[in-house]
Amino acid sequence: MSDNATLAKTPLFDEHTRLGGKMVPFAGFEMPVQYPLGALKEYQAVRDGKAGIFDITHMGQVRVTGTGALAFLQYVTTNDVSKLAVGQVHYSSLLNEQGTFIDDITTYKISDGEYYLCINAANRHKDVAHLQAQAANFDVTVSDESDDTTLLALQGSEAQSLLQPLTDTDLESIGYYRFAQLELDGADAIVSRTGYTGEDGFEIYIPNTAAKHIWLKLEKAGAIPIGLAARDMLRTEMGYALYGHEISDSITPVEAKLMWITKLDKGDFIGRAAVEQRKAEGAKLSMIALKLTGRGIPREHYKVVADGKEIGEVTSGMHSPLAGCGVAIAYVEPEYAASDCLAIDIRGKAVPAERTTTPFVRSNVRR
Amino acid sequence: MSIPADLMYSKDHEWVRIDGDNATFGLTDHAQEALGDIVFVEIPEEGRAVAAGDAFAVVESVKAVSDAYAPIAGEVIESNGQLEETPEKVNEDPYGDGWIAKVKVTDGDTSHLMDADAYAKFLEE
Repeated sequence: MSDNATLAKTPLFDEHTRLGGKMVPFAGFEMPVQYPLGALKEYQAVRDGKAGIFDITHMGQVRVTGTGALAFLQYVTTNDVSKLAVGQVHYSSLLNEQGTFIDDITTYKISDGEYYLCINAANRHKDVAHLQAQAANFDVTVSDESDDTTLLALQGSEAQSLLQPLTDTDLESIGYYRFAQLELDGADAIVSRTGYTGEDGFEIYIPNTAAKHIWLKLEKAGAIPIGLAARDMLRTEMGYALYGHEISDSITPVEAKLMWITKLDKGDFIGRAAVEQRKAEGAKLSMIALKLTGRGIPREHYKVVADGKEIGEVTSGMHSPLAGCGVAIAYVEPEYAASDCLAIDIRGKAVPAERTTTPFVRSNVRR
Repeated sequence: MSIPADLMYSKDHEWVRIDGDNATFGLTDHAQEALGDIVFVEIPEEGRAVAAGDAFAVVESVKAVSDAYAPIAGEVIESNGQLEETPEKVNEDPYGDGWIAKVKVTDGDTSHLMDADAYAKFLEE
């Protein structure tokens, strides 16, 4: 706790402490890991038809403007930005020349000459330096707006009914992975039907100055504050990748099963040649989803074993309340990816696990 | 924060109830609250001998894996099998249904343990 003085606070820090949030260091910020309700009940509130509100202001935002914006983003990101319509968002990534991940991101198309990127907190400075260096070759301006922007996620089946009273824009008109720029309780906001939970809901970008009153309004309307622990449970149950776990600068999209956001046919982009080569050679590791058939909770870095030897490692694991068992995402040696005799080493005991698919539980996102 | 007067406490936040030759171990209210929602308990096998300070059980919350340490030495005669299905009992009733193991005491030395008053002071420090 002694080095908390060096940690950043979001504009909602006082709300988190008022609510009794247990604050922990996370990506350079002091963030609530859980509130007195507890991670499990917070998780349940989002899954069971309520709405949870998450302060995810630690994440970064970058605005890309200029006549060269499309060409720039086609070159620095992996997804095909030419396919984005105005008002549409897609999942994408930034690769280095080795074809491994600098970050995973979402790209919002505001207009032909203006895009908005949401990036991971821990990678923010690295991403911005990379983007600005690359921008020198394009007619484009890259602005880091992270310090001025509050990002809230409102997730759960009640999200829309809680948010609607704060805006005149019909939220029903915002489809999945679509967004609108709208006025939210008097503040300029970007609201997208996106999230990291597998439930219907929104991510809401607002100026820091509007953070407190919008948070309070949503809280008063019945949104339940959710901490990082429940957020991680919700995303792991969906099998969503998290930078530093499933993806990193030693993993390419071939291993991470993210070729669906890596469009090799769109023209040149950073990392393309390396990814093509890896694709031709085959993945070095296979990402698999496992469900424990024995008792225990798989955790990050636990070893996956088969035939009495270590053949891989868990990148994310949890006890899934809905699946009623331990679930894990792991990287294993490719020849074992289809094995039916896998186990996870939990404190020296090989607990049997079976292959499954993600999401581990039903997704309720609005398609 | 509940600290029953009839129990002894370790610095690692376990409680022990000594009853003749036998003793019961569990986690204190403070421990369960610090851990948060407990989702898994690995209970010890019957017959296992533990020295004071040995890890005798593993308690997992949503985010963390923690060992529970034996407050005194003993041989496990019964483990709380209910915790396999309902680990949340450790949160809900840490001194009652959330007990973890019963042992036959092999060394009754409790000089390293605290009574309720001392434990309450220990928590304040």
